[in-house]
Amino acid sequence: MNTAMTILRKNFHLLLALAFVLAMPLTMQSGSLASEVLIYGLAAMGCNLLLGHTGLLSFGQGIFFGLGSYTIALTLTRWPLPMPLALALAVVAGAVGAALVGWVAIRQRGTYFVMLTLAFAQMFYFLAYSMPGLTGGDNGLMDIPRPSLAVGGFTLWPLVSPWQYYGFVAVVFLVAFWLLQKVSASVFGRTLLAVRDNEERAGAIGYDLRLLKLQAFVISGAVTGLAGALHAMMTGIAPLASAEYHTSEMILVMTVIGGTGNLLASLLGSAFYLIVGDWLSTLWPRWLLLLGVVLMVISLGMQRGLWGLFESAWNRLRGAKHPAKAQEGTPVGTGDKA
Amino acid sequence: MSIYLLQVINGIGIGMLYFLLAVGLSIVFGLLRFVNFAHGAFYLLGAYFCYQMTRWGLSFWLALAVVPLVVGALGWLTEKLVLRHVYAKPHEFHILVTVGLALAIQELVILQWGPLGDSVAVPDLLQGVVMWGSFVYPKYRLFVIGFTAVLAVGLWWVLEGTRLGSAVRAGSESTEMVSLLGINVFRIFSLVFALGAATAAIAGVLAAPIRGAEPFMGIEALGVAFVVVVVGGMGSFGGALVGGLLIGIVQSVMSTVWPEGARLMIYIAMAAVLLLRPHGLLGRKG
Repeated sequence: MNTAMTILRKNFHLLLALAFVLAMPLTMQSGSLASEVLIYGLAAMGCNLLLGHTGLLSFGQGIFFGLGSYTIALTLTRWPLPMPLALALAVVAGAVGAALVGWVAIRQRGTYFVMLTLAFAQMFYFLAYSMPGLTGGDNGLMDIPRPSLAVGGFTLWPLVSPWQYYGFVAVVFLVAFWLLQKVSASVFGRTLLAVRDNEERAGAIGYDLRLLKLQAFVISGAVTGLAGALHAMMTGIAPLASAEYHTSEMILVMTVIGGTGNLLASLLGSAFYLIVGDWLSTLWPRWLLLLGVVLMVISLGMQRGLWGLFESAWNRLRGAKHPAKAQEGTPVGTGDKA
Repeated sequence: MSIYLLQVINGIGIGMLYFLLAVGLSIVFGLLRFVNFAHGAFYLLGAYFCYQMTRWGLSFWLALAVVPLVVGALGWLTEKLVLRHVYAKPHEFHILVTVGLALAIQELVILQWGPLGDSVAVPDLLQGVVMWGSFVYPKYRLFVIGFTAVLAVGLWWVLEGTRLGSAVRAGSESTEMVSLLGINVFRIFSLVFALGAATAAIAGVLAAPIRGAEPFMGIEALGVAFVVVVVGGMGSFGGALVGGLLIGIVQSVMSTVWPEGARLMIYIAMAAVLLLRPHGLLGRKG
C-alpha cells in the first residue's frame, strides 16, 4: 500500500499528463486540434526547460521548430527513409541547430541573450527565405506524406485519420514528457535550477555555466525539433511561417501562460492557448488582442501562470480542511518535480 | 562603380532611419535596464498615425510634428500605468509585459486599419529627384538623411548638454545614487520612455512614404533595431549611429549583389561583430 502511494506520488505529474491525454478524445471534436495541443505542449516544455529551469528567455524556439519541420519534410519527400528514422533525424536537426545558436548566444547574459535569440530567429527566417531550393522559399514544402507505422510491409499502426495520428502523437508526447521529467529531476536538472537562482554562486562553486546552459539549450532544441516534425506531418506542409517570429512568440507565450514552475504547466499553457484560441477565433478573429492583454496581466500580477492559479485554488480548498497543510505551498519555480 | 556609390548613399539613408529606430531602444535600455519589445509597436503606430492624417487630407508636415508628440504621450502613459508596476518583478517579466503590449497594439492596428498595408504619398514638396551631373537621387530620401542628422545632433545635445541628459546618463550608471541625490528617478524613467517612443514614431512617420504602412512592420523594425543595438553596443548613442549606418550600408550594397540575401546579410554582420567584439563596436563591458 505504502509503495503504491510512493509510486503514485513520484509519478504524479506523469499520471496527470496521461489523464489529460486520455481525456482529450473524450471531450473534443477535432483530432487535429487535440494533436496540436500535445505538439505545442512539447514545444512549450522545451521552452520551459530554458525559462523555468535555467532562467534563459529564448525567442529563438521557432528556429528549432522550423528545423524539425523542414527536416522531416525533406526526408519524407526526397529520401525513402522510414518514418521513425526521419523523426529521429528531425530531433537531431533541432539539437544541432540549438547547439549552434546556443554556442554564440550563451556568451551573452540577460538582455543581450534575449535579443540575440530573437536576432537569430530573424536570421533563420531570412536564411530559409533565401534558399528556395531547399526550403521552398515563400511557399514552403508541401505534400509531406504521413506514412503509417509498418514493419516489413505489415501495417502496425495506420496514421490516416486525425484521431489515429493523435494516438501516435500521444505516445511520443508521453515518452518525451517522461524523459524530460527525468532530466529535470536529475542532478543536472537541479544544477540548472541553481544556475537560474544565482548564476554567480553556481559559477563560484565551480560549475561550468556555459556547458550547463548549452546542454539545456540542446535538449530544448531537440524537443522543439520533434514538435516541429510532428506538426509538419500533421498538416502535410512545412511553411515558411513555422520559421517566423510569430512561432517563437507563440511558443513563449504558451509557456508563460501555463507557468514555469514545472513542465506539466506547459501542457496547460498550450491547451489554453489553442483550445481557447480556437473557440475565440470563431467569435472574433482578432482574439490575439486579448492574448496580449492576458500576457500583460500575467506579467503584472500572476507570474506563476495558470498552474499557479490552480495551485493556489487547490491549496485554499485543502487549507479549509487542513489549515496546517496550507502552509506547504511551493515557492515559484521550485515546485514539486515529482 | 557608380552603382555601388549610389547604394552606399542609399544605405546611409536607410541607416539613418535605423539609427533613429535603435537610439530610443538603446537609451531606454541604458536607463531602465530592460529591452522594450513594444518599441517596434511605437514605430508601427507612428507610421499608421501618419497614414491616417494624410488620409484625412492633413499635410505630412503636420503629421511629422504631431504624431511623435501623441506617441510620446502614449509611451509616457505606458510607463506610468504598466511598466512602473513590473520593475520589482523578475527580469523576464519586464520583457514579457512589453511583448504583450506589442501584440495588443499590433492587433489594435489590424482592427482599426485592416490586415493589409497601404502606401503613403511622398509630400508634394519632396517629389521627384535631385540631379547633380550623372548623380540622381530621390529628394525625399535626401530629406530623410538631412532631417535625421539634425535630430541626431539635437538628441545628442539633450543627452550631453542638459540637466535631464546628465540625470539620464548618471541614472544608467546607478539609479540608486541618482535618487539619493534628490532627483525623482521615476519622472526621468517616464520622460525617457516617452522620448524613446517618440523617436520610434518619428522613424515610423519618415518610413511611411518610403515603405508604406502595414501591420507587421513593427516586428520587422524591432528585429533590425536589435541588430543595430547589438552591433553598436547597448546604451551607447554613438553605437546606435555607427551600427545603424553600418547595417544600412551592408543591406543596401548587398541588395545589388545578392537581392534575396540582403536581409540575411545584416544578421550575418551582426553575428560576425558579436563574435569579434562581444559588447558591440562602441559598447562598454558588463
